[in-house]
Amino acid sequence: MDLGVLNQFLPTLVRYVLVALGVLGLIYGVYKLQRKLGVRQEAATGRALVMPWVLGFVVFNVFAIGASLYLSFTDYNLFRAPEWIGFENYRQLFDLSLVPLETAEQRSSEVLPRRHDEIVRLTVGDGGFVLGARESDFWRSMRLTLIYAIVTVPLGLAGALGLALLLNQKIKGVGAWRVLFYLPAVLPAVATALLWRWMFSQSGLVNQILRPFLDVFGMDTPQWLTNPTLSPVLFIIISFWGVFGANTVILLAGLKGIPQELYEAADIDGAGDWAKFRNVTVPMLSPAIFYNLVVSLIGALQVFEVAAFIPTPTEAGTFLNWTIFQEAFSFRNMGMASAMAWIMLIIVLGLTALVFRSSSAWVFYQGAREGN
Amino acid sequence: MKRVLLAAAGLTLLAASFGTALAQDPVTIRISTWAGVDEAAELQGLIDEINASQSEYQIVHEPIPSDYYTQLQTQIAGGTGADLYWVDQNNMALASEGIFYPVSQCDAVVNAEPQTAGDLSDYYPGILAVNQSEGEVYGLPWIAQPVVVYYNRGLFDAAGLDYPAEGWTWDDFMANARALTQDTDGDGQTDQWGFTNNGWPPPYIFVWQAGGELISSDFTTAPIDSPEFVEGFEFYLNTAYNPELSPGRETISEQGFGEMFKAGQIGMFMGGAADDLDRVEGLDVGVIHVPAHPETGSITTFAWNASTVINANTQHPEQACDALVSLTEAIQGWKIVSPRISQANVEHLVASEPRKEASAEAIVSAAQDMRALPIFGNYAEFDSVFWSEFWGPLINDETDLSVAELAAEVRPDLEDTLP
Repeated sequence: MDLGVLNQFLPTLVRYVLVALGVLGLIYGVYKLQRKLGVRQEAATGRALVMPWVLGFVVFNVFAIGASLYLSFTDYNLFRAPEWIGFENYRQLFDLSLVPLETAEQRSSEVLPRRHDEIVRLTVGDGGFVLGARESDFWRSMRLTLIYAIVTVPLGLAGALGLALLLNQKIKGVGAWRVLFYLPAVLPAVATALLWRWMFSQSGLVNQILRPFLDVFGMDTPQWLTNPTLSPVLFIIISFWGVFGANTVILLAGLKGIPQELYEAADIDGAGDWAKFRNVTVPMLSPAIFYNLVVSLIGALQVFEVAAFIPTPTEAGTFLNWTIFQEAFSFRNMGMASAMAWIMLIIVLGLTALVFRSSSAWVFYQGAREGN
Repeated sequence: MKRVLLAAAGLTLLAASFGTALAQDPVTIRISTWAGVDEAAELQGLIDEINASQSEYQIVHEPIPSDYYTQLQTQIAGGTGADLYWVDQNNMALASEGIFYPVSQCDAVVNAEPQTAGDLSDYYPGILAVNQSEGEVYGLPWIAQPVVVYYNRGLFDAAGLDYPAEGWTWDDFMANARALTQDTDGDGQTDQWGFTNNGWPPPYIFVWQAGGELISSDFTTAPIDSPEFVEGFEFYLNTAYNPELSPGRETISEQGFGEMFKAGQIGMFMGGAADDLDRVEGLDVGVIHVPAHPETGSITTFAWNASTVINANTQHPEQACDALVSLTEAIQGWKIVSPRISQANVEHLVASEPRKEASAEAIVSAAQDMRALPIFGNYAEFDSVFWSEFWGPLINDETDLSVAELAAEVRPDLEDTLP
């Protein structure tokens, strides 16, 4: 028996066993403690059995989040101990400059402070303004990610709703259609990203289909991957792939839950298809739409796979999650990457809170109405 | 509960006894590399020979074919790193973080026989310098690949041009490149080019030949606005995506950079000495050193190099040192070009890679004039600034500034990153 290999993995096996024993001991200890404090057996058992999840949550989530917050106030490169620098990382990220331009064509480098690069240029009359930043990569990423989210989320929701309405039809074999339309959601994200990249390359499938039409008008084939204007459009197109997935399934389930009596009552009142859709379907579906909106918004702001495998031109920037990853692992600037991540978190929380605040105006909960 | 505790104690005792029982086995030295399937298989052959030749240690290869440096950093930071790692020139800057063991303190290096892998004086000084930090050496180089020119003899013959020869200059190169750029099928579209440049080859070749420097030797200045640097960089830019001699960005992106040369569409290609461009079926390819600067006559070329390092946290530094020297000796007999002066000859190169026999003389000649990048602790940030603020905007046509103007603007930002 070759014990050499066993020797390599035995310490890990022993650690696994000890951790398992420790978790069992924790469950037992929490149960016993509660019973001693007079907690009913049922409640004590429930709380004891949930301890493994609590332990995992504390160790892998709470601790990690807390560590990230701490590291955002440090200079840390993985190999040396973190060095406390206070708000320096945040100060660098928010080191912005808004400078007037004498002419619309004036070079940013002539007016911006040192180490500031142009983020946005606004032309006003013969002059204008230029917004510059020291951490220009971060702000370009922020711009691209927010534009991507603002455009793709509503379009994606509309597409998912349309597809759900289609799959809600009572036609023969609709079950098979539902399976086919859901298949894209189970494909690996990386393989899909690489396929999209090939399809949109200069001689890829998309340009081959477009070429005859473009030749008629004497236009060049689009440079999807290298043109800073077209590159964001490419990602928006790719985002429609997400229509075929959980969003559609959730909306379809919501459609199934709308009482038929409401449609019958609308028919009696003489409502047409559009009126029924606007006054029955959408309000009754609004909780599912609300859920999809929140989840899609968070997902759009955190896009990573397509950013990692489809390059973007420097001028367009890249997606925020990818920028944070590069800051952490390419430049080993863990402190700055943590600060970027916390700013991203605040933005995600802020936008999500806005959606929640707005929900009282457009989300209809049938149970709440009946309760009133 | 008591039974549970007893069982745990028993398991722990069992594990301890296993450990004791196995204490007499050879030490396991783990090495991580970026090798893919084929390369890993070849490396394993060398490792098997080393393992069979002694009983002090056994080398175990743990390849990481993707995200190599991300995994290297997290493994070392997490304390689970291998004993040995392959590290390329750019990432030798990690030595300044104190995560590599100083090989110059290894007994196997201090007491090395002359002209062996452990003999530091047998390495090209410029290549060894990449591995040095604060007076210590942190890696043993196993390859130093000079950039050479591969030229398609068939295309030269068809164009009625003489092949590049010893002493050829930038002017000869540009004349050849322009003459080889043609519409061969008469459809109005250029389908053959004299050269190709998509950011590779590195601009440093032409900068150094012109007498310029990216970083001063004392790492205090970045004189990229010197007339010599500007001259070299302007020549380099003139070869990139220039329709007179090179395919455009989209064409290279869609058809592949090296693939276009292999397809017989490119007359001259600057590649590493170990590239397989001179053994493409159906192509008659010659190899020569890079063209010389017309005035200085310099044929300095860029050398990509890589080393093997020892993890500073290795539990077995002595065995790791011995394994490092043995493995480096073996790899230097496998990879070309060896970074050792005593092995800078045609015989050693052909013995390592018989398929390069026809090109061996040109490669060995080019190796005499190869230079490596000046690596220092914060090189990653320097490189990032150089690319994002200077090289990238110029080669991607994102600025209307001249090379000299942009260099003057960017120089202070580069010098902010120097030690």
